[in-house]
Order: sequence, then C-alpha cells, then structure tokens
Amino acid sequence: MDIFKKIQELFAEILDIERNEISPDTYIFGALGTESIDLMELAVEINSEFNIDVIDDDIFLRRLREYISDIQTKNRDKSQSEGCNPVAYIKRKYPFLSEKRIIEIIKDIEGELDFNEPILKVKDIVDYVYYWQKSQNQS
Amino acid sequence: MQLKFSGNRVLILGGTCEMALCLAEHLIKSGLYPVLSTRDEKGKKHIEDSLSAFDGKFETVYLNFSDVDSIKTLFPPNTIADSHPDYLVDFAHGDLESLVASETTHDIDLYFSENISFRAEIIKAVARAMLKKRKGRLMFISSVAVLRPNLGQGFYSASKLASEALYKNIGLELGSRGITTVSLRPGYIDAGRGRNFIKQNNKIIETIPIKRAIEPSEVAETILFFLSESARNFNAVEITMDGGISASKYTL
Repeated sequence: MDIFKKIQELFAEILDIERNEISPDTYIFGALGTESIDLMELAVEINSEFNIDVIDDDIFLRRLREYISDIQTKNRDKSQSEGCNPVAYIKRKYPFLSEKRIIEIIKDIEGELDFNEPILKVKDIVDYVYYWQKSQNQS
Repeated sequence: MQLKFSGNRVLILGGTCEMALCLAEHLIKSGLYPVLSTRDEKGKKHIEDSLSAFDGKFETVYLNFSDVDSIKTLFPPNTIADSHPDYLVDFAHGDLESLVASETTHDIDLYFSENISFRAEIIKAVARAMLKKRKGRLMFISSVAVLRPNLGQGFYSASKLASEALYKNIGLELGSRGITTVSLRPGYIDAGRGRNFIKQNNKIIETIPIKRAIEPSEVAETILFFLSESARNFNAVEITMDGGISASKYTL
C-alpha cells in the first residue's frame, strides 16, 4: 500500500478526522492540532504496520531545534571550527530528509516562521518510513 | 460480587516470588491467563513445578532486569496484538538492605539501574503494546516502606517511590487511551522476605493495628479486584493496604 495513504489513514483514525484533511504538506501540529500522545500512538502503529523500528525522536524531528542551535553556535564562533554546513549537518542527523526539504525547514525556522512554529509535516513521516523500509529491504 | 475482566493475558513481572505464584493461581481460577517472567531456567522450573496443577493455563517468559535486550524477547517483531498483555502486575524488586551512608557507588548504581531505569524501559514497552489495543491496566506492587521505611530500606523505598512515579505518569499520560495504573502499598506480608523479617522481629506484629501480617492470598484477591472492571476508575493512584501501620505513631 502507498505509504502516504497508509499514514493518512492511521492519522485520520487516531485524530478522528477526515482523510482529505491530511495532505503531504499538512503541518502536523499547527493544522491538525496533534498532541504528543497522538504521535506516540502513530509511532506504535507505524512500527506495527510497516515493521520498522521507529525512533520517536527521529521520526518526529524532536531534536531539530537543538541541532539548529548547535549549527548557529558553531557558526557564530568560527575560530573554534571551520564552520558548519547546516544542510549537511541536518542530513547526517536525519538521513531520511531530502536536501530540498532540509533547506525548506531551515528557511522556516530562521526566517519566515517564528522559532516556535511547527515544522513537522506529514511528508516527513512518509519519508522516514520510506527510507527505513528501503534500508531494511537492502540489508 | 462477581468480578468481570475486560482482558485475558496478565504479564507478571517477578514471576517466581511466592506472591506472584499465588496470584497466578487466583488468575487461572478466575479464567485469566498469567504469563510469568523469570530470569533463568531455575526460575522457570520453579514456576512450572509450583503451578503443575494448571498445565497449559499459564506460560513463562524470560526477562532479566539487568539485560535491557531481554525486553525484546517479550515483544518480538511481527507479533500480533492478541499476544500482547492486557494487564501487567509488577512484583519485581531487587533486595538491597543497607544503610544509605554505607553502600558502595557500584551497588547503588546497579540497584537503581535495575530497579528504576530498567523498569522505565519495560513499562514503556508494555504501554506501547497496550496502546495498540487502546486498553490496558498496569499494577505496581510497591510497599508501605515508601511511607515508613525501616533502617536499611533507603534504597529500596527510594526505588519503589521512583517506580510509583513512573506508573503514576503512565496513568496520567495514557488514561485517555484506556491505559490505567494503580500502585499497591502492602504492609508486612507473610511471604518471602516479609516472612523472614517477621520471624527475626516477631514483636513487629504488635505495631500493626490489625495485629497480624497480610496473607499472600489476601494480596492476590486485592490485585484481582484492581484488575477487574469494578476498579476501572482507580487510576494514577497509590493504595495503601497495611492493616493501619502507616496511620499510627506507634513503633517498637
């Protein structure tokens, strides 16, 4: 089954909303009013549906802001390092995100959105599942 | 009163202790299916011998509190939700009778690691398994020592209190998903370590307002009640069952 459609189905069931309210670009916190317990439930469902190990911190980008702060700190004091490429840094932490998506996220955080605005989109979860399913099949 | 249950499988941590075996009998007689944890073959044999009259009505699982990986054997990948527990009863607790100011760093770390950190991991795994069913009841068997510790029970009561806090929060966080928790604080029980303590300190019974220790079957009956639908509105709470010890100023 198409990964997005399955995630959409799971989300709709957990949040008790219509499937058509959920698109790949939907912000999970801002638009859907999701709570952290809903995400825990989603992680359990994904683990069971797709048979992949789900690390909640990774799939829900929980440490993203911490990583962005790390990058800002490193780049503020270049005397201690050569500086830090934000895209490469985030890619190392979240290999399932595309570079295009990482640039979009950084832009969201640093510019157009308030630092505390939601970032996580449905498509990020889809990408996580796709990436780890593929890795698992290859190994 | 006929107790009714909404589930069937009861995972019992610390399955080799006398109270766990007594509870298993009560569960089987009530039509429930106990799954008793043990850390080795010797424990497995002890459980099987003790419950030999109930062959096929229970099972044992390997779980070692000093081995986090052993949790994976409880919930292997691709297991269907029906094989997950509907209830958890947690008797497991290591023994460390020692004055707080005299214990070694190594033993303190090890004790808290096994009795708190590992417990957090097992609670997490069980709660996530229950989340799939949107139903589950977890019961922690604590001790009245958290209120009235004897000398040498500092580490024991500290880890019991920390464990109670973990269970309480599961009840708070997942109550909306049908997963609830209760911690029971029994007083002196005529079983295992409690029995030995009473033997060595026989005047202790005089300090209990009901003038007797609690029988293992009484603990089992109480647990059965708290697992039943009759007790479904108890959540994220600690219940003291000590014959009145903690209400009194009287000590030996």
